[in-house]
Amino acid sequence: MARVYNWQLGREMSYWYPEARPKRQFAAVFDINKCIACQTCTLACKTTWTSGKGQEYMLWNNVETKPYGSYPLAYDLKLLEMLDSQRWNGRRYDGKTIFESAPAGERVLGWRPGDRDFAYPNTGEDDCAGEVEHGAYLSMAHTSWFFYLARICNHCTYPACLASCPRGSIYKRAEDGIVLVDQGRCRGYQECVKGCPYKKVFYNPMTGTSEKCIACFPKIEQGIQPQCFVNCIGKIRLAGWISPPGQARADNPIDYLVHIRKIALPLFPQFGLEPNVYYIPPVHSPPAFNRQLFGPGVDGAMKAYRNAPNDPELAGLLCLFGSTEMLVNRFRRQGDAVSGFDGNGTEIVRVPLREPVFVRPAFDARNQLVRINCP
Amino acid sequence: MRKTVVALLALLAASCGRTPKPVPEVVSVSAAKLPLTPDDRLWDRAPEHAAKMIPQDLVEPRLLEPTTAEVRVRSFSNSSEIVFRLEWADADRSDRPVPGVMADACAIQIPGKIEKDLPDPQMGQEGKPVQVTYWRADWQAAVDGRGDSIRDLHPNASIDHYPFEAKVLDGDPEARREMERRYAPARALGNLRAGPRAHPVEDLVSSGPGTLAPGPSLGARGSGKHDARKGWSVVIGRKLPQGLEVNQRTHIAFAVWQGTRQEAGARKMRTGWIPLVRRGE
Repeated sequence: MARVYNWQLGREMSYWYPEARPKRQFAAVFDINKCIACQTCTLACKTTWTSGKGQEYMLWNNVETKPYGSYPLAYDLKLLEMLDSQRWNGRRYDGKTIFESAPAGERVLGWRPGDRDFAYPNTGEDDCAGEVEHGAYLSMAHTSWFFYLARICNHCTYPACLASCPRGSIYKRAEDGIVLVDQGRCRGYQECVKGCPYKKVFYNPMTGTSEKCIACFPKIEQGIQPQCFVNCIGKIRLAGWISPPGQARADNPIDYLVHIRKIALPLFPQFGLEPNVYYIPPVHSPPAFNRQLFGPGVDGAMKAYRNAPNDPELAGLLCLFGSTEMLVNRFRRQGDAVSGFDGNGTEIVRVPLREPVFVRPAFDARNQLVRINCP
Repeated sequence: MRKTVVALLALLAASCGRTPKPVPEVVSVSAAKLPLTPDDRLWDRAPEHAAKMIPQDLVEPRLLEPTTAEVRVRSFSNSSEIVFRLEWADADRSDRPVPGVMADACAIQIPGKIEKDLPDPQMGQEGKPVQVTYWRADWQAAVDGRGDSIRDLHPNASIDHYPFEAKVLDGDPEARREMERRYAPARALGNLRAGPRAHPVEDLVSSGPGTLAPGPSLGARGSGKHDARKGWSVVIGRKLPQGLEVNQRTHIAFAVWQGTRQEAGARKMRTGWIPLVRRGE
């Protein structure tokens, strides 16, 4: 194994191949606090890419309810249990990654889901942690919690699927870091399905090959965000490019949220893949639970997010989520407006930090009518 | 007297048995008409070689626990083709290609050229390719009539709709096929293993671990049959190795995968090189 640097762990780690970062890396930020689990993202992806025979159970994009939801069943709990108790030392991970804890004869620590593990995509949906008794739901703050976790392939810097494939059928594109399965070369050994800790590679029983999220690369190549981003009702997603920490730019939306403000965090960084989808953690779930999912940066991220109304730069950038279908390479706030720019520096969108609010009185005095809300 | 009768009966039974003794190499017997099904009676006329198998433990992912102990091999050939029957014990048939399930399979491997200096027995090496002929149980099931749909694997599966089955395409089968290909990228790219299958066997070449690729056609064909008590019996046929004349030797290696033991790809039981000799009439 080679030694590579994983900035999310704050240290070097072992990986199957030497470090080879792409020219630029596709990345995304999901604001969990805004997700309503409408599954529009799931449908947008499904109808675009996985409506074929053998793809019936594939959800390249899924939204699961935490703490109990998962797809495939218990994908995260099973691996956490296999990995056993590990430790962070501040921002440095002192535990073992799935590469460093690979059993003899294996390339990574993993498990292979069976067809029944894919049979219950809505397990735990809308189930909160704990019982809600005696009208507890009527009073604030709620004592029980849940949140929605939208997931796609993380297009990791150190993909376990790629490391697992004994044939080299999986590759990471040098131009944008998108991880793809070569459908002409794959022989369906399902090693990638076993190796990916996020279980975002799926075996197609009709073609006998494994398939995965392609980050809608035909759209990315044209500067357009993927289907699950542009169809998001809650406007929780922003796609773009992430730089390595030492090269972060303050006007790059992803760099700003991940590296500079550290408000967006990777999912299960302890697995060691350096995933490139980042989450603004849910502010109403217990920090201890959040830490297990998103690492040690949770407390700072939750604090910064709660303060966003008093933080025009951050609030402005959050307003750009879902504001355009184009990829936003740079952003700039000026006064009460924030602008997004494409790769050529052309302004592609401008939105106010606060939308103007108009309150219409319930009673229309001029017409002497009571206004009612009906379609 | 009674003992003598028993001994005579035993001798008679032995002499009537058509199964020759096991031989230390794979002997391919000449035949005008080659047997192409596992239960063809002609197989009884060929000597059997019992090849001991070892786990593939040279490259990751490795197989650390031995499974299939041996594969029993018989062979026939004529001036253009050679066929083998491989038999191994496996009580659990695995031929449903669903997530987390591997298919039973077997393969033969022959050096690309007949030469003294053999390629690595583990999938060949750079500059010394090997020819692999590979059979799979799920392909056999497809050839035997299992349909190409999810309901053939999960009879109770509920499917809302496939875009290529839209009514608007009823009068345009080519447009329908084209749209169906769009949702089967491996087929659209011409990946030969992506089905639907006409044969349960495929021709491959390899120049080392991880390099297995479709090879020039060697006319691979065959068929397999499973018996819960005996295991698999599989016939694999291909063109005669180039230059393999009567009484000449090349080498052959075998591999077996047990699907229920999660064996696929490099996780397999294999043999080293075994001499293969072609005998005349």
